[in-house]
Amino acid sequence: MMKSVFIGLFLICATVFIAKGTVFAASAEENYKFYCVQCHGKDGTGTGPNAKPSTFGLDLPEMSVTPRNHASKEDMSKLSDTDVINAITGGGISVNKAALMPPWGKTLTEEEIKDMVGHLRKLCNCKGPS
Amino acid sequence: MSVSRIGSLAAAVVLAVFLITLSRGISLADGKGTFAAKGCGGCHQTEGPATEKTFEDKLKQKGVELWYAGSKFKKAWLVEWLEKPVIIRLMAYNSVSEKNTIQHPALSKAEAQEVGDYLMTLTAKEVVPGSVEEKGGAKAKNLFIKQYGCIACHILPDKAGKKKGGITGPDLSEADKRLNGAWVYAYLKDIKLFKPVRRMPNFAGIISDEDMKALAGFVTGPR
Repeated sequence: MMKSVFIGLFLICATVFIAKGTVFAASAEENYKFYCVQCHGKDGTGTGPNAKPSTFGLDLPEMSVTPRNHASKEDMSKLSDTDVINAITGGGISVNKAALMPPWGKTLTEEEIKDMVGHLRKLCNCKGPS
Repeated sequence: MSVSRIGSLAAAVVLAVFLITLSRGISLADGKGTFAAKGCGGCHQTEGPATEKTFEDKLKQKGVELWYAGSKFKKAWLVEWLEKPVIIRLMAYNSVSEKNTIQHPALSKAEAQEVGDYLMTLTAKEVVPGSVEEKGGAKAKNLFIKQYGCIACHILPDKAGKKKGGITGPDLSEADKRLNGAWVYAYLKDIKLFKPVRRMPNFAGIISDEDMKALAGFVTGPR
């Protein structure tokens, strides 16, 4: 009996571990600092190094499309949580925006992307349309 | 030809092969020794597979991993770079907040050749030489810029030669001289194998195999 319970628990743990798909789970804030800041900047205003290389004294043009300002209540309140999830998962092109925003659906888990929406709502201090 | 002359010729051939093998062995041994003596291992990992699992692990790394250098780089470029290093990623290694100002140590011409020989022995079986045709083309350029937006993080020169693009990924202006197309393809196909934690998204299952080959060929093809 105990042996069956042990095997059952092992299988559940193994399934959860495999289904997770990523090597580790990070908080939305950590993920933002690692991935999103590249274009959106550390304060979320869309002024990351890829968007504005001149900030670093480099003679390169700005990104052709300004990355979304996540701190803008006006812009972000127009997007529903589903819009944001879709844009992160499938990239800009999946929501008829620029391909410069890449798809993160195979990098972040669904859970991490949902958490990211919460983080973005903190940055804009706003909610999506009701 | 007499038997003795054939014997002498065979002995000379055997001796030549032996000496070539020996000198190559010495060169590789010297290259590995030089790599160690110069302290390169302090920043560069030469044994795979990749072990980093978290952001913290990744951010602890001080330099690019080299355990698949022989699959990734073109030898002529590698040897030249070791002698005359130039900046490839405009942001500091692993950083998204500081400009790259590092002066990478330079090796002498002889050392560069030896270390280059050694690094070229470090290969990954997942990279299949010849699996990608290194060529440019408008279609592949369109994939790179418009369809997949790689230009957001990577620099390429435009038609007039002016550089454009993002700076958090390596500058790809001279990737045709630097990288093997087969490695770029293998990297796109299974990015986690080479870099389990990195700032570039995982495109496996998003970009088709055909487009991955086209992108790898474009990045490493003639400009």
